[in-house]
Amino acid sequence: MTKLQEASQEEEEFVEAPPFDLLRVPLIGRFLEWKHARTLLAIPMLAVSVAMILQGLLGPTLAPKNLATVLTWVHFRGVLVLALLCAGNLFCLACPFMLVRNAMRRFVKPRFNWPRALRNKWIPVALFALLLFCYELFSLWSSPWLTAWVIVGYFAMVLVVDGFFKHATFCKYVCPIGQFNFIAATASPLEVAVRDHEVCDTCGTKDCIRGRREPAGRTDSELVILQRGCELALFQPAKVGNMDCTFCLDCVHACPHDNVGILSRLPAGELMTDPQRSGIGFFSRRKDIAGLTIVFCFGALMNAFGMVSPVYTVEAWLGRLLHVQERAPILGLLFVVFLLVEPALLLGGAAWATRAWAGVQGAWLSVTVRYTYSIAPLGFGMWLAHYGYHFFTGLYTIVPVTQNALAELGWPVLGDPRWTLVGLPKTIVEPLEFGFLLLGLAGSLLIAWRLAEDDSEQHAVRAFTPWAVVCVILFTASVWLMMQPMDMRATMMAG
Amino acid sequence: MPIRIHIFPQPVRVGVVKVVVTGVTDGMGEPLAGVHIQVEGDRAHPGMAPVFSDAPETAPGTYTARLNFSMPGDWVVLLHIRLADGSKIERQIDVRGVAGP
Repeated sequence: MTKLQEASQEEEEFVEAPPFDLLRVPLIGRFLEWKHARTLLAIPMLAVSVAMILQGLLGPTLAPKNLATVLTWVHFRGVLVLALLCAGNLFCLACPFMLVRNAMRRFVKPRFNWPRALRNKWIPVALFALLLFCYELFSLWSSPWLTAWVIVGYFAMVLVVDGFFKHATFCKYVCPIGQFNFIAATASPLEVAVRDHEVCDTCGTKDCIRGRREPAGRTDSELVILQRGCELALFQPAKVGNMDCTFCLDCVHACPHDNVGILSRLPAGELMTDPQRSGIGFFSRRKDIAGLTIVFCFGALMNAFGMVSPVYTVEAWLGRLLHVQERAPILGLLFVVFLLVEPALLLGGAAWATRAWAGVQGAWLSVTVRYTYSIAPLGFGMWLAHYGYHFFTGLYTIVPVTQNALAELGWPVLGDPRWTLVGLPKTIVEPLEFGFLLLGLAGSLLIAWRLAEDDSEQHAVRAFTPWAVVCVILFTASVWLMMQPMDMRATMMAG
Repeated sequence: MPIRIHIFPQPVRVGVVKVVVTGVTDGMGEPLAGVHIQVEGDRAHPGMAPVFSDAPETAPGTYTARLNFSMPGDWVVLLHIRLADGSKIERQIDVRGVAGP
């Protein structure tokens, strides 16, 4: 046997090794396979949400002393991205909004299907950008009251959308947090997936997508749902990756063959190929998902840019240049530059170079869309660095804030607030931030390389280089942002 | 109690500033005895450490503390005043736009 054959055999053995399956882990697997696991996980999340709303509306007005602001902008965001990095879309699994929605649907049956023209990601793309814009404009992080209303508004939006429209319309076509999670989860190590495709080949019921129903009354037309199938239209045997998967585990509970697991996989591996995906189609033909990826990545830069000192200089300069004193138009202009102009130049330019230099086939826009997904891990690295910074440096602040909240309720069981409890020192957190960014860069470069290899065997380096340049530019910008002295905003137009 | 809070130097920059509390007097304008004042500086963004400093009496009815504004941006200064009879008074002022060093 030649060395090449040996290597090939080793590779085959490696590939065929059964993946880790979270549902096979004792206790955890059993719990997650339990039909009411999601509800049980969502109950504490709902309780915390209610506490945040109440404290946000009625508690201390100072953001660092209020549960609404501390939990939302320090802990929730940090735990969210770390869970996505270490496991998968766990927030959607325990989503408190779905608990309320499911309760509502016991009484209100939605009658409409989401309009066909809106079955894409453009609405959540706009909402995601709007949320980032409002975060800056209204300094949401510094206002418990506004933060509480954002949470209330979210609950209201879920109830309205899913009260009128069938299936998981809100999750798939509206929820900006969900879309953030979907894009980030493409780099997660776990995926809800079929254990053995041969079992699916012989399956006659397709319960994972159809669910299980039984007659409710005398006529066969009246059916009650015993078990939902996938509400997001992801047919397990044809499902690829984590896009649109809320980890609701309906498919796990529905499968009569116990053939769906939570399996390990190569993080971001799903972005290295472009198969047809159930419920989604081809990534390379989805301009809306590419747009979402752009807002995800360049929004991360904008969000971090709003936090450092140079933003004041830029805004003051723009204000003088345009003779504008108000904050909104200046901020709007910055968002247009960051979310439209900059991506158009960088990604469009790279696509043009790839076509011209490597002779990659396809229209300019198609090439742009296809390679845009390669920057997703880098964007995720930026969010990890940013949110991870706040989470780790403010890790323990939840303790005095909770102590204070209980004391204000006249129930000081945890003692006096220890305001000096803060978090990990920057000497530990900053290397972590660099690590997240480097991880993102490595992932993005790898994806760009694999796509380039697929597109042009002869000129893979030429096809890859423009995208590598884009990745390095974004990485350098992120590192530069990280090294800037952090400011506390809210005084944007003061200077 | 006509409490006033002054911060020096102006404009406020990152670094140690002097927080002067005046008017800690009774209705007749006489300085109150046995008052303890703690000054707290908080940042606008949650998840960051507040800074604390005790303010000793530096003149009759006047208390002075030194606070370290370690970052630029908006700060909130809180006074925790404990009177001789154990009662507490809180005062708060916003310090907007602390400039970089």
